[in-house]
Amino acid sequence: MDPDPSQPPPDGLRAEGMRVLVIDPDSARAALVAEGLAGVQPLEVRRAATFDEREVAAFAPDVVVIAADSPDRDTLESLREAGQHNPRAVVMFVDRSEPGLAEQAVRAGVAAYVVDGLAPARVRSILDVAMSRFALTQQLRGDLAKAKADLESRKTVERAKGLLMKERGLDEDGAYRLLRKLAMDRGKPIGQVAADLLAFAGVLKGDAS
Amino acid sequence: MSGLADLTLGFIPLTDCAPLVVAKAQGFFAGEGLEVTLSREASWATIRDKVSVGSLDGAHMLGPMALAAGLNGGAAMLAPLALNQNGSAITVSSRLATQLREIDPKGMAAPLITAAPLARLVEQRRGQDAPPLTFAMVFPQSMHNYALRYWLAQAGIDPDRDVRLVVTPPPRMVEHLRSGEIDGFCVGAPWNAVAVDEGLGEVLIKASQLWPGGPDKVFGLTATWAERHPGEMRAALRALIRASAWADEPGNHAELVALLSRPDHVGVEPEAVARALRSEIVFHRNAAGLPRREHALWFLSQMARWGQVRPELDLEAVADAVYRPDLFREAAASLGPVLEPAMLFADAAPPASGLFDGTPFDPVKALDYAAAFPISRVRAEV
Repeated sequence: MDPDPSQPPPDGLRAEGMRVLVIDPDSARAALVAEGLAGVQPLEVRRAATFDEREVAAFAPDVVVIAADSPDRDTLESLREAGQHNPRAVVMFVDRSEPGLAEQAVRAGVAAYVVDGLAPARVRSILDVAMSRFALTQQLRGDLAKAKADLESRKTVERAKGLLMKERGLDEDGAYRLLRKLAMDRGKPIGQVAADLLAFAGVLKGDAS
Repeated sequence: MSGLADLTLGFIPLTDCAPLVVAKAQGFFAGEGLEVTLSREASWATIRDKVSVGSLDGAHMLGPMALAAGLNGGAAMLAPLALNQNGSAITVSSRLATQLREIDPKGMAAPLITAAPLARLVEQRRGQDAPPLTFAMVFPQSMHNYALRYWLAQAGIDPDRDVRLVVTPPPRMVEHLRSGEIDGFCVGAPWNAVAVDEGLGEVLIKASQLWPGGPDKVFGLTATWAERHPGEMRAALRALIRASAWADEPGNHAELVALLSRPDHVGVEPEAVARALRSEIVFHRNAAGLPRREHALWFLSQMARWGQVRPELDLEAVADAVYRPDLFREAAASLGPVLEPAMLFADAAPPASGLFDGTPFDPVKALDYAAAFPISRVRAEV
């Protein structure tokens, strides 16, 4: 796969250092993470007893490390689902696990699921892999969203063309040229102009209430 | 030896886990030949994941979570039993309640408090460039999320634009209300009562007012598990139905309160648990245990309304695959001699006509219903 110059490489984050948030009522785990990441510069490891969205937004961590049995899991999952503020790579750890649970957690959006606790020697590689995997997933999600938006925009343009052909008696080419001119005059994307046109046509027909 | 496998069932510390806790403590599981271990879990996501991979055989589950679990390549779930009706409520901080009373004394004194006073406050705050108010609920796929959104949107408040919605674990709701991190929440019992008892919040509307007889939690398990363990499933359903009937009985409430208040179950003050039991939550009466198709379709309509599922999804097929009133009826009917006469459900009353605002809901037109709301994310296909 050729690197996409518009996207930073997944390990670009690492080159700028690492900000890690450990959500754990106990401070031992955060100390262990810091120990395992010794040598990463600059490094900031913070611990919070519970997940506080505003605190997290202010800190902007690259990775969130959390116990699998933390009640905050639902909050983290909802943030990912909404695809909104500060999506983060989430690393989940657990002392013992049943078969299949790791795969299931990863399917639900966790970037790495670590069984048998978190040994300092493994911390660095686990967090690196989690961040790379997360960056890749984000990119795929972004690509998918863009593909969907493109398709949507094309459909809107088709509908707006149809409307112009009907209302203005234009042929298909003429309708498209008119849309393109409107877009250029207004400095807006053609999909946006088409959507506006359809919305106004709806108002004139009395659709909007 | 009954020949049945031992089961591990998960629950979240909420009053509506009662059927599971009672079935174990009162020996209803044992009476069916089941050896059951209850596992208290910390999050709904963990419940879903553990049931999906079989490390839990079944669990106390959010109805919409059971419906959504199989949609994105996850394990398909079944809901053969509804655990309760009502119990949740929308609570706001005392501070917010005072502001609402100042801005709209009449609206706040109405027998049914809508979000209209809140809409006026939201409008006023927008003018002042104040940050949006924050409301918490327990999970994106939950009755609490949909109830809160419905209530807000009915008054013209767009839940995605005009306020901020966050997910907060039920046991943290009250402390987040205290710290001012959130201004209100929608959560199940006993957490509304806890907020009120601590003088931190006021209940604006209860689930029983929002939707009389409306749905909430279910007993969830995977379709694969049910297929492999039909005997265990039937035994578990029989035990849970008997436990639900026991939990509804006012004469048993003192014992139930003591049981639920224990730190290994819900772990709160007994009075907070008692409140919802007295007036609100129903486990068994009025066929509360029946996992109704129309309830599943209402949940799915709200998933479509808020953009959680694509409008192309065959909502009826999903509802029928997950919500299984047939399994409930079969287990309930087999208990006939034990629980006569209320238990046959041949003539279970139809559900209440709809939600508090009276918008009619036709289950076979769930998508049209979702799209017709003035605030809806269902894309209008021309």
